[in-house]
Amino acid sequence: MNCDDFEAVINDLAKKVIMDADLRDKALSHAALCGRCETRLTDERELTSGLKALAFASAASTIEAPSHVEASLLAAFRGHSAHRAASYVSPRAITSRWLYVAAGIAAMAVITFLLTLTVSRTRDPAQQPKSEQAISPPVAPDKRQEPSVKAEPPTGRETKLAVSGLPKTAAFKRANQRANQGRAQLRANPQDDSTTEAEIATDFFPLMNREALGQLDSGQVVRVELPRSALMSFGLPMNMDRADERIKADVVVGNDGLARAIRFVR
Amino acid sequence: MMTLPTTPPSDLDLLQQMMTGDEDAFTQLYGRRQAGVYRFALHMSGSQSLAEDVTQEVFIVLMREAGRYDPTRGSLAGYLYGIARNQVLRRLEKDRPFVQFADWSADAEEITPAAMIAEGDPLGDLTRNEMIQELRDLVLSMPPRYREVIVLCELHEMSYLEAAAVIGCAVGTVRSRLHRARALLIEKLRAARGRNAAAEEVKPARCFA
Repeated sequence: MNCDDFEAVINDLAKKVIMDADLRDKALSHAALCGRCETRLTDERELTSGLKALAFASAASTIEAPSHVEASLLAAFRGHSAHRAASYVSPRAITSRWLYVAAGIAAMAVITFLLTLTVSRTRDPAQQPKSEQAISPPVAPDKRQEPSVKAEPPTGRETKLAVSGLPKTAAFKRANQRANQGRAQLRANPQDDSTTEAEIATDFFPLMNREALGQLDSGQVVRVELPRSALMSFGLPMNMDRADERIKADVVVGNDGLARAIRFVR
Repeated sequence: MMTLPTTPPSDLDLLQQMMTGDEDAFTQLYGRRQAGVYRFALHMSGSQSLAEDVTQEVFIVLMREAGRYDPTRGSLAGYLYGIARNQVLRRLEKDRPFVQFADWSADAEEITPAAMIAEGDPLGDLTRNEMIQELRDLVLSMPPRYREVIVLCELHEMSYLEAAAVIGCAVGTVRSRLHRARALLIEKLRAARGRNAAAEEVKPARCFA
């Protein structure tokens, strides 16, 4: 046994705790050979006897809480018991209270459900895909899937008056896409050829600068009629012989009421 | 006719009766446990007034929150010691600049005429009393974490397991803290007695004997 091993058992040795006899003998024989450990053991034994004397003195001198502590505690206990008795609620009252609580919770759940439903319905249009929502034509709800241009059967002379170099926002692209989809649908339904007339539309021409167009999230396409001279304003060719005639146009009107873009339909 | 001796009710029985509002049960429980709690607080603080406050607070907590005691986690005495420990540490922390360690020694043992009559070995008694008083002061001068293991394991003779339950730590922690605390006490005792003893430091040292 070395000093470290001795240090591990020195407390038990000094306090005469029951321990392994072999270990105890080894520790004592080490203390007999090592002066430092012998001194340590002596000090520990003195401390143990001193602490035992202190414990004994404390226990023998009947140190305890004064009687006024007990008196005040008893008063507190009586007050606590009286309060508990006053706040005692009969089982029937508890049952009815639980019924009230359950009814309240159910009412809260119904109100929450209704509110959630209302809010979700209010938000639904905003959450629809922008391709369907962004630019909605002023048509009846059952015709929302149709494009903003009036349908005409496709013809070989259908041309697109592309205008290059002009800014095309996502909203205009969507509007064009919808118009093309409408034309495609009409192609798929040739029985309508006799009743409808094909339209040719230009791309949308912006009526505002690029920054203002970028703010357009949604709006409506309004069909209007303009003098043919308006074609010239956008650099489009115009037959002077028909200058007194009017031409149809689709105007993209934002939610703020401002016209954002225009296209001409023939 | 022979009557069988009745076994005293356990702490748990008394607690359950107390919870139903039985004042006698509370009185019995208080009478059984107050001295230990009070002594623990006194050993920890050295202040009688603080020990009284702590004792009162411990039993008020018991009467208000008796349902929080879980018998599977330890004895009721350990639970009360745990509350007392928390209260003492809180008060010591709060009143740190004002704690007087000499409070207990001055008036704890009232001097009566009977006490002034020497019996047996007066010199030995004096030496013993001086040593006890010295030890008491040294224990009070220790840091609380070491003081509490000395008080619980040495003065209240709790096992490591019981002390660990009171403090809320592992048994090994109690053992190592007690070892360090005893070494610290020996150092303080040596310093107090002016024993130089080659300025020996109480630290484990390796030797090759």
